[in-house]
Amino acid sequence: MSLIMLLYYIITACIAVTAVWNFIKSDGDFDELAQYLVVCVPLVLRLLRIK
Amino acid sequence: MSQKSGKKIILVLVFMLVTVLGGAQLYRHRHYQVPLVAGPGVTRVARLSDYLPSLKDTFFDTNVYFLEGSGEGGTALLMGGTHSNEVAGVLAASVFVENAIMDAGTLIVIPNFNNSGGRNTRPGDGYPLYYNIETAWGEKVFRMGNRDASPLDQWPDPDVYIHYPTRQTLSYADIRNTNRTWPGRMDGTGSERLTFAAMELMRVENVDIAFDLHGAETMYPVTNCIVAPSSAMRIATMASLTVTAMEGFEFHVEPSPEGFRGLSHREIGDHSSVMPFLLEAPIPFLDQPTGPKTEELLLSGYDPFLLSLAGKQMLFVPYDETGWSIENRVGQHTSVVLEVINQFGISNKERRIGIRGVPQLADVLENGVGYYFADPGTVSEGRVYYQ
Repeated sequence: MSLIMLLYYIITACIAVTAVWNFIKSDGDFDELAQYLVVCVPLVLRLLRIK
Repeated sequence: MSQKSGKKIILVLVFMLVTVLGGAQLYRHRHYQVPLVAGPGVTRVARLSDYLPSLKDTFFDTNVYFLEGSGEGGTALLMGGTHSNEVAGVLAASVFVENAIMDAGTLIVIPNFNNSGGRNTRPGDGYPLYYNIETAWGEKVFRMGNRDASPLDQWPDPDVYIHYPTRQTLSYADIRNTNRTWPGRMDGTGSERLTFAAMELMRVENVDIAFDLHGAETMYPVTNCIVAPSSAMRIATMASLTVTAMEGFEFHVEPSPEGFRGLSHREIGDHSSVMPFLLEAPIPFLDQPTGPKTEELLLSGYDPFLLSLAGKQMLFVPYDETGWSIENRVGQHTSVVLEVINQFGISNKERRIGIRGVPQLADVLENGVGYYFADPGTVSEGRVYYQ
């Protein structure tokens, strides 16, 4: 794995963690909470090297 | 438990369900192995990494089947799956592996050239993950791949792809398109190393002619044709005329443009003495104005919207209620490959390549594609290879 590819995975992990943290802290309505998790789906699949 | 917490727990459970169910399908697709029976003509099976070790243990590595005749002769290379969503190329190359017998010369077949692309998909376009070919012993399942190598194997894409060695600028996504990375380079991206390894194979094995089997939209003018550079134009033209006269189907010839770089029909000829031929069979599935991208559309090639457009003279191929079946596309590929090999032998008698056992268009139309695939469960384990 090249350094740039590794950095992309680190960035992906940071965004995923941020989305999860926002989900935990959110007092938002159903739509807002759902959107945090929808954003996480491709990030998690990429971190797991599935898609 | 508060109402807020309950809402979050439900959402997390839904998230996990969606991720696990969706992820499991994609994981299975990427790792699904298609068995291919080495036919009576296969004398050995190598890996492309034998010609460039850095491909070893990557998804770019792929099987290379050698069919060596007892008589002296030339060598042909046949590649399918450069674009893994153009499935007729994969199937036609696989038919050669399972059925061809060499009397003279050597045939080298790589059915899944872009192995990484064959394990990629296009969920945004609703691609099916698999397609089934009916055989007498059941359905043979093939992976439906994508045009480009998987981003899991080659990433990131640049803003602009600069082709090596010409420095022509191409679309960013073409850096994962193995028909834009010829002639490749030894220390380049995965796609560049793949095409470099193929160039090495052609050099080491003294290949005379190379085929790259593709499919193209019916609304795209470069379809139903052989694309060849000037060095191969005479043979391509003779093959085109002969299949029209003898087998009754049109397969015209397109000149390989000198200013469009990275394509097999351009770079193989420019960087070696090999004569390249790129074959395009019509594939209605890839046209934009169709209904859902189903397995049925992929195999039958019939779509009512395309039929309507055919009535308005907007397609570049004949089109009616029969669509453009997979049998038609695979049969055209096998017929044209056989005729080009025949024409090459007429022009180069000392390098003639003698080949038999491969069905022509009429045979495939009569029997179906599945007729030419053996049941992996009934042959010895050593003759079954996984793609």
